[in-house]
Amino acid sequence: MTSKIIGGGQKILVVDDEHMSDLMRSVLRKLETDGFKPVVVAPEGEHITGEDYEAQALFAMEAERPSAVLLDVRFGEYDSDRFKGLSILKSIVDRDGSMPVLMFTQYTQGPYRDTAVSASLSVSASVDFIDKLASPEEVVLRLRRLIGSAPGNIKIGSLFELDPENAAVYAVSHGQKELIREIQGMKLEIFNELASAMYRSEGELVPFSRLERFSDGEDSRASLRVRIRELKVSLGQAVNRQFGANELIINVRNRGYRMVSPED
Amino acid sequence: MNWRMLRVLIRTSEVVAGIGLLLIVLSIFVGESVSAGTLWYIEPMAYIGAGVFIVGAVTTIGVYQFSARKNPVGISDDRTWSQVTQDYFDTFAHDIGRPLRRILGKQREARALLNETGEVSPHMVAELLDEIENQAPNFRLMIENVRVLVDLEDQRAEPAVEPVDVAAIVRNVSDRYRPIARERGQDLVWWCEPSEFGLVYGDGSAFDHMITNLVDNATKFADKHIEVRLTRTEDSFLVRVWDDGKGIAESHLDHVFDRGWTPELSARAEKQSSGLGLFIASTLSNRCGGELLVESQQANGTGEHSTIFTLSLPLDNRSLVSG
Repeated sequence: MTSKIIGGGQKILVVDDEHMSDLMRSVLRKLETDGFKPVVVAPEGEHITGEDYEAQALFAMEAERPSAVLLDVRFGEYDSDRFKGLSILKSIVDRDGSMPVLMFTQYTQGPYRDTAVSASLSVSASVDFIDKLASPEEVVLRLRRLIGSAPGNIKIGSLFELDPENAAVYAVSHGQKELIREIQGMKLEIFNELASAMYRSEGELVPFSRLERFSDGEDSRASLRVRIRELKVSLGQAVNRQFGANELIINVRNRGYRMVSPED
Repeated sequence: MNWRMLRVLIRTSEVVAGIGLLLIVLSIFVGESVSAGTLWYIEPMAYIGAGVFIVGAVTTIGVYQFSARKNPVGISDDRTWSQVTQDYFDTFAHDIGRPLRRILGKQREARALLNETGEVSPHMVAELLDEIENQAPNFRLMIENVRVLVDLEDQRAEPAVEPVDVAAIVRNVSDRYRPIARERGQDLVWWCEPSEFGLVYGDGSAFDHMITNLVDNATKFADKHIEVRLTRTEDSFLVRVWDDGKGIAESHLDHVFDRGWTPELSARAEKQSSGLGLFIASTLSNRCGGELLVESQQANGTGEHSTIFTLSLPLDNRSLVSG
């Protein structure tokens, strides 16, 4: 039996006997688009069973050192492999208790999920579950959160880029990045909060209660409003645009602010 | 008293009755008469055995009758009726999911081709593809609702208790429904206060299911805006799902959580949904030691209209579960 390994770099180990299905291909494509390198475990030979996937998965874990594992619960048509993924999960967490595993299954809830959780919690593994019918975007989002690694830079559409490590916001034009010097101090903190929330979840709003620590004066809400306005002006000037009330940073019915990707 | 304890009690009383019988039988061989013509004429061991047997037998019968009253299906099998049915529906869910996976796969391949080559670009086709995609969460919810319904029939089932990142659940559900809301021209936002929400103890899959049903309901009736807000008090957490839909008439508010009730039902129109989502969410919330409330405002001259579902659940559910 031989093994076919696809991909390299920052790797996601994909252990699923349906990896050639259209549905899984759309997930693999999305992973690649988002900068991940899927490493597909695909044992070759006749009468492939869940055992073959388990052996290959454990071998690939050692050989490829993936950042996370995307694992199916059900393997093959044999009854004995009905929940083979749970046994593979146990083997994975036994080998590396810190390995993030996203279980790609339709048993996201109910007793089977509990079984899987109890199998994994004993070693404090980082395990999450996602429905097999989830969209590729949702799969990648969950995987990204599970790994817990924010990207080096957070892109805000095609116009801006935040470099949290160097505390810098850039305007991007024709592949060239130019530092926006006006955005620093509290304005940078606000930008960072909003951009990080957007990165975590597109619909996440940052409530006033969290943002008001970046404002001062007696009326912190008014102070925050001024800072946001200044922020939008600085960002607009950097790309020769004027961002309206419903663009880039939006006040959502006086609950808080939300960042949205600007249109090109 | 839970069912595990009842089983143990039945087994124990059966063993006691058995020991009583054994003592009676053994008394013939190993005992001796104390004195003829007295109470101990036959054998003291036999009297003791008879007493032990009666206590064991009466307890066994009593516990059986008690359990039969609470559980008409019986508990003779280790697997409950609900577990058997659950197994059936899990297989059913898998079978119904397979063709759906194929449809979704083809649809996404077609979309990729459309994007890459531009050769297949009729607007209608793209709309159809979007429609198929956006039906997926509905199918997922339908499948899950059937499973939870069966689960709810089992009155003995206790909610699981585990550490749960409820903010992550709200985020995941919001992410899942955001594209659907966008397709319907709605803006779905969510947030939690405090931002570092921390863990709660409860049934994570039940939380997920309740919140999913509430958000799914909001996307069906909202006009332009949906908000999902997670907050906490000293001993509970609240998930508040707000939408700016046309609202629910006050006379209908009492029926919102009835099984099978939909707004179309009261308008004598064709039902657009199963009417199970809110019933399930409400029943699950009670089982988890919480409650689900609804407030609604219909446009009365002011133009303001909205509906708010507030799910309130204990921060720590460990005391709810016995054993």
